Amino acid sequence: MVRRFDDEEDDDVEEEEYEDEEEQLLDDEDYDLDEDVGRGRGGSSKKRGRSDFIDDLAEEDDEEDEDDDDEVYGGGGGGGGRGGKRHKAPRDGSQFFDLEAQVDSDEEEEEDEGEDGFIVDSGADMPDEDVGRRMRRPLPLREDEQEDVEALERSIQARYARSSHAEYDEETTDVEQQALLPSVRDPKLWMVKCAIGRERETAVCLMQKYIDKGSELQIRSVIALDHLKNYIYIEADKEAHVREAIKGIRNIFGAKIMLVPIREMTDVLSVESKAIDLSRDTWVRMKIGTYKGDLAQVVDVDNVRQRVTVKLIPRIDLQVLANKLEGREVAKKKAFVPPPRFMNVDEARELHIRVEHRRDPMSGDYFENIGGMLFKDGFLYKTVSMKSISAQNIKPTFDELEKFRTPSVKGEGEMVGLSTLFANRKKGHFMKGDAVIVVKGDLKNLKGWVEKVEEENVHIRPEMKGLPKTLAVNEKELCKYFEPGNHVKVVAGTKEGATGMVVKVEQHVLIILSDTTKEHIRVFADDVVESSEVTTGVTKIGDYELHDLVLLDNNSFGVIIRVEREAFQVLKGVPERPEVSLVKLREIKCKLEKKFDVQDRYRNTVSVKDVVRILEGSCKGKQGPVEHIYKGVLFVYDRHHLEHAGFICAKAGSCCVVGGARSNGNRNGDSLSRFGGFKTPPRVPPSPRRFSRGGPPFDSGGRHRGGRGGHDALVGTTVKIRQGPYKGYRGRVVDIKGQSVRVELESQMKVVTVDRNFVSDNVVISTPHRETSRYGMGSETPMRSARTPLHPYMTPMRDPGATPIHDGMRTPMRDRAWNPYAPMSPPRDNWEEGNPASWGTSPQYQPGSPPSRAYEAPTPGSGWASTPGGSYSEAGTPRDSGSAYGNAPSPYMPSTPSGQPMTPSSGPYIPGTPGGQPMTPGTGGLDAMSPVIGPESEGPWFVPDILVNVHKSGDETLGVIQEVLPDGSCKVALGSSGSGDTVIAMPSEMEIIPPKKSDKIKIMGGSLRGLTGKLIGVDGTDGIVRIDDSLDVKILDLVILAKLP
Amino acid sequence: MFFHIVLERNMQLHPRHFGRNLRENLVSKLVKDVEGTCSGRHGFVVAITGIENVGKGLIRDGTGFVTFPVKYQCVVFRPFKGEILEAAVTMVNKMGFFAETGPVQIFVSNHLIPDDMEFQSGDMPNYTTSDGSVKIQKDSEVRLKIIGTRVDATEIFCIGTIKDDFLGVINDPTTA
Repeated sequence: MVRRFDDEEDDDVEEEEYEDEEEQLLDDEDYDLDEDVGRGRGGSSKKRGRSDFIDDLAEEDDEEDEDDDDEVYGGGGGGGGRGGKRHKAPRDGSQFFDLEAQVDSDEEEEEDEGEDGFIVDSGADMPDEDVGRRMRRPLPLREDEQEDVEALERSIQARYARSSHAEYDEETTDVEQQALLPSVRDPKLWMVKCAIGRERETAVCLMQKYIDKGSELQIRSVIALDHLKNYIYIEADKEAHVREAIKGIRNIFGAKIMLVPIREMTDVLSVESKAIDLSRDTWVRMKIGTYKGDLAQVVDVDNVRQRVTVKLIPRIDLQVLANKLEGREVAKKKAFVPPPRFMNVDEARELHIRVEHRRDPMSGDYFENIGGMLFKDGFLYKTVSMKSISAQNIKPTFDELEKFRTPSVKGEGEMVGLSTLFANRKKGHFMKGDAVIVVKGDLKNLKGWVEKVEEENVHIRPEMKGLPKTLAVNEKELCKYFEPGNHVKVVAGTKEGATGMVVKVEQHVLIILSDTTKEHIRVFADDVVESSEVTTGVTKIGDYELHDLVLLDNNSFGVIIRVEREAFQVLKGVPERPEVSLVKLREIKCKLEKKFDVQDRYRNTVSVKDVVRILEGSCKGKQGPVEHIYKGVLFVYDRHHLEHAGFICAKAGSCCVVGGARSNGNRNGDSLSRFGGFKTPPRVPPSPRRFSRGGPPFDSGGRHRGGRGGHDALVGTTVKIRQGPYKGYRGRVVDIKGQSVRVELESQMKVVTVDRNFVSDNVVISTPHRETSRYGMGSETPMRSARTPLHPYMTPMRDPGATPIHDGMRTPMRDRAWNPYAPMSPPRDNWEEGNPASWGTSPQYQPGSPPSRAYEAPTPGSGWASTPGGSYSEAGTPRDSGSAYGNAPSPYMPSTPSGQPMTPSSGPYIPGTPGGQPMTPGTGGLDAMSPVIGPESEGPWFVPDILVNVHKSGDETLGVIQEVLPDGSCKVALGSSGSGDTVIAMPSEMEIIPPKKSDKIKIMGGSLRGLTGKLIGVDGTDGIVRIDDSLDVKILDLVILAKLP
Repeated sequence: MFFHIVLERNMQLHPRHFGRNLRENLVSKLVKDVEGTCSGRHGFVVAITGIENVGKGLIRDGTGFVTFPVKYQCVVFRPFKGEILEAAVTMVNKMGFFAETGPVQIFVSNHLIPDDMEFQSGDMPNYTTSDGSVKIQKDSEVRLKIIGTRVDATEIFCIGTIKDDFLGVINDPTTA
C-alpha cells in the first residue's frame, strides 16, 4: 500500500507544496521518492516497486521531471483526473508532503514558470517528446541512475547531510521491498493487443485521450515496452475501465484483454536484459548467412554504428571464389555450405586469387585482403551488424574453442578466450563447499571454498590465513578449482556423466583420466563436480549395464564395453578380430546371464572368473579373468589391455587356464574338434549298438538336435504356455522357427509347437548345470529323473560326449557286449592319461574320485565309475546346459521304446560297478544312470548321402543313405553308388564306412555338420579335411567323417 | 602402505572336509579365498600370517555346509594419496605409463611426466628425455608419488606423478 500512498502524495504535491511550506516533518528523500513516482506516472506507478532505493540518486533529474509531469497533468486539463484519484484517498499521503515541498520549493517554482508555457502548448497538441520520455523512462531509468550512482550519492550526501533522516532510504530491506509489490487490492495490469509497431503510438493516443477526457478514463497508466511487440499494458482496476479507455483507439483491435497475473506484474517492468555487453573477446554466434550458428569472437565493437567486427573461421570455397573474382560463371545457389577451414593464403595464390597484404589504418595490424575480405592468421575478420550476432548464452564447445586456438600461439590466446566464457555460464553453478580459485582481480589465484552464494557474488572462505573469514567475490571472477588426483564427475557438456581422476589442471580446463576408458578427457572445470562415485558415466541404459553380455538382434553377441548417451559399444563375440559395434538399446535382444563352463585348449574346465592366458591370435599372451563365456567364446578382462575397456574376445580353445594342468597327448590335443562335434551332434536316434569305429565321442550326440535351431536366447529356457490348447503347460524351448516355438512339455513326453506369442518366457531361465555341477549333483540327478521322464535321457549328455576318457573305457566293454567282433580299444591307456587332466582342473572333486580308481582297473564297468571326473567338467560346457534339456526332443521319443528294451541288457554292468557308487556319493546318481543311458545314447549320427555298410539278415552290403527317418532308421539305397534297391535299415544294422585319404567325405557332427569335403590327410584319429564350400582346411575327428559314394 | 591387521571372515566349509584335518582345510581355504583379494577399506590382502581364532561352526540348513567365523591376522597393502612408492613399469603408451607395485596399478599420465620427457613410439614405446639420458620403458623401475586413488570393490587404481623432486626412474633395465 505504500505505493498507493505515494501516488496520492504525488498528486497532492503541487497543492501541498504551496500550502504547507512550513511543515518540515519528513525528510527530503521522501519528497524525492514521491516525485519519482509521480514522474513515473505516465509509464507506471509500478515503478515504485524498486524505485525507492534509488530515489536519492535520481533526485536531480526528478526535480525537472516532476515538474514536467505536474504540468502535464495540471496544465493539460488533468485537474479533473487528479481530482478523481485524489478522491479515493485524499488524506493518505498528505502528511508526507508537507516537508518535501519545503526543500525544493524555490527551484520548482522557478522551473514551473519556465516550463509552463512549453508544456501547455505542446501538451495541447501532441506532447511527443514529453510522452516519449515518459514512456521510455521506466526502462533506462535504473541504469542511468546506477551509472552515476557514486557521483550522485556523494552530492546527495553532502546536500542532505544535515538531515537526520539522510539514511532513510539507503538500506531497503527485503521486507520493505516486498511491501511494495502489488497486491490484490492494487490496480491490475492488462495486456492489450495492438497493431505491431504501433505500441508507442497507442500509448500516446491513450494518454492523449486521458488528457482530453480526464476523469472519464479510469485507467491508471499505459505501458509500452520496446522489447514487446504487439502489446501494450494498461494499468486499471477493472477490465471494463480498460475497455472503456481503448474504445475507439484505432491501433487496438480484437479487444482481447488479458490480465497479467500479480506475480508477473513486476516482471513487466523489471529490466530483464541489460544491453548486451559486447566487449572484445566475447564469444558470439552468427545468426544469419553462411556462418549461421558459427562461433565467432568479437574483435572490435562500434557502438555508435552498432557494428561489430568478429573473427570467424572462414567457410570459403576457394575455387568458387577464384571463379568469381575472374568473372567466370558462378553457380547461383550453392547447395552446400563450405566447411569451415582456415584460409591458406598460399592455396589462394595458387588459384590465382589476388591476395593483398595490407595494413589496417585503424588498428595497425596487417591483414590479407582477398576479394574484399580480410584475413589474418587464417581467420576471417568480418564486420557485421550487432543484430546479426547473438551474444547471449553462448557456450562454445570444447572442440570449437580448440579450433579457434589452433593457428594462434598457444597460451595467451587460450586464456583470453576461455576467460570470456565466464560471461555466459549459467547461474548458480557454485555450490557451498566447492573449492574455487579467483581468476581475476586483486585476489587472483586466491583459493578458497564457497560459503554462500548470492545473486552475483559468491562468498568464499579463503584458504590463506590472515584474511577475513569470508570474502565476497563476483561470480565471474571465480572458477572452480580442482587438484590433480581429485576424483570428479562431469555434469555437463558432451562428456556428461563420465567420472575420472584429474590428471592435470590447465587454467580451468581439466584433464581427466576416465575411469572406464582410461583415456584422457578434457573438460571445463565448470562442468565438473567432485565426486567419489566411480561410474563410467552412464553405466546403464534400460536393463543393460556396462560389461554385460548381451545377445543382439542378428543373433550375434558381445560384451558392452562402453555406454554412451543412447547407445552401447559392444565388443562382438568374434574371436578372430576385435569387432566393436555401436548398438542401440532396441537392437539388444536380451542379457545373457547364464554361466557356462567350457574347456580350454588343454581340456581344463574354464568357468567365469578363472584366469586364463590367451595362447593364440592378436592378443596372444594377454591374461586375465574370464568375465563371460558364451558359445565357446570367452570374454577375458585384461586390465592391461587398453582397447575395448580391457575386454578381449577369444575362443576357449585358444586359451589356457592359468595354473591349469597341461595334459597332453593325442586324445586331448584334438579335444577341440571333438568338442566342436559335441556341440551339434547329428540327429540320430539312440541306438543300442556301437559300431566298430574307434572311440565314439558322440554317444551323447544323439541326444542333441542337429543344428540348434537358431541361437535364440529362448532356446533352452523354461517357458510357460499362456494360450492355446497347451495353456498352462510348462516346458523347455527346443527350437524356434520364425514365430513358432517348439516346446518340450514337462508333463507330457512330447514336443509341441506353439506360437511364440503364446509363450511367456520369463519363467526360470534354466541354468541347471551351473547350479548342480558343484556338489549336489548326485543327489539331484535322481530327483530330476523322477520328476520328469525326459531327464534320464539328458544325463548322457553330461557324461562322456567330449570326454574321450570315458569313451575309451566304455567302448571296449560295449563292443564286447554288443558287437563281439568289434575291435578292442585299449582302455587303460586312455584312462590313465586323461585322468589327471580332468581331475587337475576340478580339484574339488578329487576327494571323491580317488577311491574309484582302485577298483577301476579290471572291470569294464569302471568306466562309469570314472565318469564323475569327466562328467563334471563336461557338465558346464555351454553347449550342454543351454541345449541339453531342450535337446532331448521329440524325434527321439518314438525311439524311446526301442531304447528301453536295451536297458536290461546293460544291466549286467551295473553289478560291475557297485563299489563305485557308494564311494563316489556325489556322483552316484550319475553313475547309476550311465548304464541305462549309455547304450541308448550311442548311435551313429547318420546323415543322408553317406556310404554305409548294411548288415541285413546276415548279409553285408554297401548302401547309401537316402533319408534319415524320424524314428532313427534310414532309407538306404543298396549298392556302392546307391543304385540298388531301397531298404529301410535300423541304425543298428548300419555301419559307417570310414573314409580314407582323398575320399570324399561328409561331416556328420560338429559345427560343420552336413558339409562335404575331401579328406586330404589322416593324422592319428584326426582327419584333415578340405571343406568343399569354403575350401577351408579343417582338422576334424575321423569319427565324424563319413565316406561319400 | 602395509598394515598388519586382524580381520574376520565367515568361512563355509563343505562337509567332506570335516575330520581330523578340518582346521587345516579351513585355513587353506581361507588362504585361497582371501589372499590377493582387495577391499576398499583395507586394501589388498597380501598374506595371512596367522589364525587368531576359529569360532564355532554353524551348520547351514539344507546344504550341510558349515560356517565358521575365522579371525586371522594378515598383511594388507593400501596405497594412499601422497604416498611415495616404487613401481615397475608395465606398459607405456602415448597417454602415459602404467606401473605396478604389487597388486596396485598406477597410472602416470603424460601430463604428470616431466615436460622434457617425450613419448617415443615404436617397438618398445618409452618416454625419453631430449638428451636420451633417462628413459622410461617397460620394466623400468620408477619412484612415483600417488596423487589420487580410486578404490573399487575389487581393485585399487591410482594415479601417480613423477613430476616432482626425486621422483622418476630409479633403475633402468637396459643399463642394469
